Amino acid sequence: MPPDATSLLDVKGVDAGYGTMQVLWGVNLDVKAGETVLLLGANGAGKTTFLKSLVGLIETRNGSFHLAGRDVTRMRSSDRMRLGMTYMSELAVFPDLSIEENLKVGAQALGHANPGARAEELYGIFPVLRDKRRNPASSLSGGQRKMLGIAKALAAEPKLLVMDEPSAGLSPLFVKEVIRVLSDLQGRGLSLLIAEQNIGFLEVATRVFVLEGGRIRFSGTVAEMTDNEALRRAYFGLK
Amino acid sequence: MLYPLIAGVLFGLYFSLVGIGLNLVFGVMRIVNLAHGDFLMLGAFVAFGVYTAAGLDPLVGVPIAFALFCVAGLLLYWILVPRLQRARDPEMLSFILFFGFSQVIEALTTIVFGTSERSIPSRELANSLSGVRAAIFGGEATNGPFQIFGLSFPASWVVAATVSVIAIGCVYLYLYRTRLGTLTRAVMSRREEAIATGINVDRVSAAAFGIGLGLAAVAGVFAPFMFGSFTPAFGIDATVTSFVVVVLGSLGNPLGTALGGVVYGVSYMLVQTYLSSWADLLPYVLLIAILLLRPSGLLGRRVRVA
Repeated sequence: MPPDATSLLDVKGVDAGYGTMQVLWGVNLDVKAGETVLLLGANGAGKTTFLKSLVGLIETRNGSFHLAGRDVTRMRSSDRMRLGMTYMSELAVFPDLSIEENLKVGAQALGHANPGARAEELYGIFPVLRDKRRNPASSLSGGQRKMLGIAKALAAEPKLLVMDEPSAGLSPLFVKEVIRVLSDLQGRGLSLLIAEQNIGFLEVATRVFVLEGGRIRFSGTVAEMTDNEALRRAYFGLK
Repeated sequence: MLYPLIAGVLFGLYFSLVGIGLNLVFGVMRIVNLAHGDFLMLGAFVAFGVYTAAGLDPLVGVPIAFALFCVAGLLLYWILVPRLQRARDPEMLSFILFFGFSQVIEALTTIVFGTSERSIPSRELANSLSGVRAAIFGGEATNGPFQIFGLSFPASWVVAATVSVIAIGCVYLYLYRTRLGTLTRAVMSRREEAIATGINVDRVSAAAFGIGLGLAAVAGVFAPFMFGSFTPAFGIDATVTSFVVVVLGSLGNPLGTALGGVVYGVSYMLVQTYLSSWADLLPYVLLIAILLLRPSGLLGRRVRVA
């Protein structure tokens, strides 16, 4: 099936897994330019497996990934990233490198012409990192580390930022701060694909895909999701 | 007591050079290169060839060995490693592969050069620099022993220790002052995160493998002077020594190797001086002791489970 020409990311019928265990079954998903798409699912639903297959950390058994119109299914990770997609994993940073080195590595890895100047720009968006720029990333708190992870993923100036559970391990206060930052990035025209189980992120989402048992059970707008009684029960605890 | 301590530091700095390439390769690729000592042995043959065939100062062998084995490392990487890392259990396969490779190198070297011991007269190392030495330290332009705190040490030991310090300094500059070095430390910090960040991990690993082999060969240039002689079978002993130095310092942290090397060198000289019949046991005793008392090495860097 040809990719949707209007999509920045177009995923068709992806099967993936580890060894003999299949985790994903025919996943379809798309992200259009400027959109924020939330991939919602409980622990073990297959969110991280999906993102890992998207960025090339695990092999895709069937199906395809098209990024900006190009088939990236068999491309290695570094080549996919050079097409304008960066990934913030749950771990997000290099703990042994300083904060500044983390930002520069994020830019250098994808051939940014001036990593030093880019790091300075990012301190403008994340001022909390500026004062600690020489400290190792391992010295940061969980919330600050997440901010560094987002900043590092933005360092190469991507078109699409893919995030794996940005709320994991954070206090509710920091989750709100992360949502505020994402909302700010949305305003700058960045496309986002966020895998989460925290429904607080619906606040920034334009569309939602619900993943259960490795299969997409729902896709639609936030309003359509909240109108769906079964999903309302499962995710909002409402009757 | 002072003599074995100073000699131990000189030997220790040299042992740091012996181990640092192995640790760099392990840190980046999580692969133990069991053929490391064989590349060191081949470096000794480079020094021997430079001296006997070309009639040059064996020190000329340092840049030749480094360049030659850097290129060999890059070629070997692209032939062997990507296939290895596609396997289900690359760590275990790497042990078998590099053990086999070590045997092949030793066998081929034995076929070509025979099993006889080879040596180079100690005074020949850095002989071409004796004029420079006389200009700095005074005295005649000869390559006689060095005086340190009134004690005499062979010039070859001091030259080997000096080159080792320069080489470790270059590794530091590479890791902390170059773009490729920063990316190398990122891969060492978290390999999967490095791939997810878009770093071309194969390029970084190939560079580390080339530099690791180059450093092993440079260490090999000094082996005839530090150990008196060498044979094609010398590689296995060199791998064991390198492994002990690396584990003593900190596995996966190349600069920790400098500390491991000095601790090993001082222990080696003290045992040689006071309990010489036990000297062959030293590497194994130190290895068992460090694994029991401080498994992450003296610098205590956390080692990831691959």
